[in-house]
Amino acid sequence: MSKRVLCKFFAHGACLKGDHCEFSHDWKDQSNNVCTFYQKGVCSYGSRCRYEHVKIGTISSSSTNSIQQKGSKAVEVTCPSKISVGAEVNANLSIHVELSALSSPFFPPAWKQDSGEQNFPDDDIVGNLRDVDRPICSFAAAGNCPRGDRCPHIHGDLCPTCEKYCLHPYRPDEREEHSIMCGKKKQHLDALKHSQEIECSVCLDRVLSKPSAAERKFGLLSECDHPFCISCIRNWRSNSPTSGMDVNSALRACPICRKLSYFVIPSVIWYSTLEEKQEIVDNYKARLGSIDCRYFDFGNGSCPFGTSCFYKHAYRDGRLEEVALRHLGAEDGNTVIAKDIRLSDFLSNLRLR
Amino acid sequence: MQASRARLFKELKEVQREKVVDNDIQLVCDDSNIFKWTALIKGPSETPYEGGVFQLAFAVPEQYPLQPPQVRFLTKIFHPNVHFKTGEICLDILKNAWSPAWTLQSVCRAIIALMAHPEPDSPLNCDSGNLLRSGDLRGYQSMARMYTRLAAMPKKG
Repeated sequence: MSKRVLCKFFAHGACLKGDHCEFSHDWKDQSNNVCTFYQKGVCSYGSRCRYEHVKIGTISSSSTNSIQQKGSKAVEVTCPSKISVGAEVNANLSIHVELSALSSPFFPPAWKQDSGEQNFPDDDIVGNLRDVDRPICSFAAAGNCPRGDRCPHIHGDLCPTCEKYCLHPYRPDEREEHSIMCGKKKQHLDALKHSQEIECSVCLDRVLSKPSAAERKFGLLSECDHPFCISCIRNWRSNSPTSGMDVNSALRACPICRKLSYFVIPSVIWYSTLEEKQEIVDNYKARLGSIDCRYFDFGNGSCPFGTSCFYKHAYRDGRLEEVALRHLGAEDGNTVIAKDIRLSDFLSNLRLR
Repeated sequence: MQASRARLFKELKEVQREKVVDNDIQLVCDDSNIFKWTALIKGPSETPYEGGVFQLAFAVPEQYPLQPPQVRFLTKIFHPNVHFKTGEICLDILKNAWSPAWTLQSVCRAIIALMAHPEPDSPLNCDSGNLLRSGDLRGYQSMARMYTRLAAMPKKG
């Protein structure tokens, strides 16, 4: 049943077990909201526990028995109002109420108990597995496993990148996957660290130290590699041409090297190689390409950027706009691409006598 | 407004730090108004302005650095690109070729460069421009040197 339950660690993006996880890594599956400590008979939160205190499914009968055999402090009472929890709940499945907190007021929380004495429900199963199938110990991965050599889980090898003991010794594909992921993460962190130092030449501030989150972004120019804040470079480029500045040689050019760039790409990180820059640019274009252009307006409007527009030009039925470029021979013999010509352009200039 | 103020404070800090390094330029901010600056620049060597100290007045607009600062000479100077009466400067980077990456310090450097390399084809001072355009280098140099002595050098005795 656990295969159908969403893995909590996966949901937080931190499951170390990958394909070998006994819980589901499929977002479509529901997360499990049943208290696992309650299943073992001891939950020190009692009625204040944020998880549900119900016994579920087939495992419940055996666990109930074990509790009774051990003479645990949990006392079984029936709660008439909650008896209709579900079809699965049979007569044997009644609601347990913890009395442990009452009988021993200083009962330590479950996670503080000496783990050697703690009874992990899956220990017996895990212990009999082959090495390949044994899951990795997340305590050891996090730095310290209190059970040491007696731990039924596999203690991983040290990952040189993240310096955690999280490489499964018997699963080469998983090791490789982790190394790749870890390498990427480290690269990203390094890039972020490097980006912290970079100053915008317009406001002379460090871009990532700006007060508001919206400002803490770089504006990449397509044709050169000088860093600016996204707001600074956009303000400069949208400076009105009436102020006397040349549009192409000043406003659209890089303020430092005066190289003409036709667009600015926002990015939270500064790149160190051209491949990284290309990746940022491609991601940005792909993101815009999935958004419908508001000028095109599903074919009802017209977009002044035409085929150069980064946004999506699609009709309501999903068809993409098809543009046939008109090539005209200019007087000097060169071929030029004709701009969109409308009848209204001529009519508005026409003077009726 | 806020952005320009922050940027000017940064420049002020930078100027105070760099003062020792660049002694051709002395930039001072008005005590009560960060949008008003004055600068003292030394005339470049091997030009008729050598030995003179020229005073510049900066009026920084609120849109700075998106708009260039307005700069004029307070000291009288005989130069083809500087208006003889008002001190207005004809320099592309102060008009249509401004870039927000320029600072007041770098504007001063550009003006020093302009003093060393006059542009007689777009003159604000026609007399000076005409002297250069007609090839009378000697006439231009002696006029410029005379005004440098008269206006830009401390009076002796």
